[in-house]
Amino acid sequence: MDSATLYVLAAAVLFGIGVHGLIVSAHLMRKLFAINIMGSSIFILLVATATPISGQADPIPQALVLTGIVIAVSATAFGLALMVRMSQETGKATLAVEDEPENDD
Amino acid sequence: MIGLALDLLIIVSLIGLAIQSINAASLFRGILHFVVLGLAMSLAWARLDAPDLAMAEAAIGAGVTGALMMIAYRRLIEIQPDQESSLRPPPSRLAVPIALAAGALVGVIGLAAIQAEPMPALAGTAVLENLGSTGLGNPITGVLLLFRGFDTLLEITVLLAALLSAQAVTRQVDLDQSLTTQDPDTPLVGALLAIVVPLTVLVSVHLLKAGGQETGGAFQAGAVLAACGVLLVLTGRLGASRQYSPLVNTGLLVGLLSFILIGLAPLLWGQPLLALPGLWAIYWIESAMMISIALTLVLLFAGAGSLKRRDHG
Repeated sequence: MDSATLYVLAAAVLFGIGVHGLIVSAHLMRKLFAINIMGSSIFILLVATATPISGQADPIPQALVLTGIVIAVSATAFGLALMVRMSQETGKATLAVEDEPENDD
Repeated sequence: MIGLALDLLIIVSLIGLAIQSINAASLFRGILHFVVLGLAMSLAWARLDAPDLAMAEAAIGAGVTGALMMIAYRRLIEIQPDQESSLRPPPSRLAVPIALAAGALVGVIGLAAIQAEPMPALAGTAVLENLGSTGLGNPITGVLLLFRGFDTLLEITVLLAALLSAQAVTRQVDLDQSLTTQDPDTPLVGALLAIVVPLTVLVSVHLLKAGGQETGGAFQAGAVLAACGVLLVLTGRLGASRQYSPLVNTGLLVGLLSFILIGLAPLLWGQPLLALPGLWAIYWIESAMMISIALTLVLLFAGAGSLKRRDHG
């Protein structure tokens, strides 16, 4: 087994953990962790499956992932701002569960 | 063999930290695990032959994201000190099967991509072949600024859009007191800043300059500079402000505007859009982007539209 295969398998496990966390976590910040973990696992997948060009790493996936990391931080920052504001409005940082159908945004 | 063992160690810690960051008993512990996860990610990038990503992940992924999460946590516990009292939702019976299926999907896609007949990486080959004529040594900077400049232009626009959106939803009330708790006049803080701030500026300018030829670039440099700004906010040297500041707004926009103007200019003499006219243009845009990125991240941290200097004896 070579290290590219190892990292692909790791990406698969991390994505599963992220999806699971996104579904079962109550707290919005934990959901943000989960989304970031899913993103990171896809970044690993992109870089690990790239074919080297005459011994050098393919720069395209790496540039793509570099862009992705910055976008992930922007989206996380916006998500955190939304979470803080929601907490200010409702007093809690969790999404409404079934018994409060009137504010399920 | 050692390499494979190292990969295994990194992967095991990635998985362990990911589980811990989501399931840790307290939210604060979850944040800490998430930051360490970012550092483990940067080790993984180093092993995957991607030093630029390792640096970006350490500075942006672990550093800036961690700071943003901690300040958000701080604001949450001011509203509701017990963040863990919130009830967990009823356990979903579908969560585990869905997670397994999603993980399997990613794994199958990845394994298929590895085992498929290796396709020649046409775009990558074109980049490496044409890099020599541009004067750049780092192919990733080449892709970001020259070959796929449009992506980077949109990326910096997204960063600005995220800041504007975050400001739109942030309630601008007495934020500037809430950031500093330590007495900012402690003499040691001044001495620390006198060493750390110039050093950070030096490191970020070095990263920026190095980005042309080796590992580094505007995003890494901007994140390091942002760390310096976060430090200044935390020690009370810079404070959140609601007042319009021409200096701050210029700094926020200089990256995007430089990129757009220098990118549009080639149209005047019949060149394609974003065909940058030489190395000076690349370094100019990267420097401007570094300032804008750093300022955007600091403002996201401060949760404010502007910053003002605060003087301490």
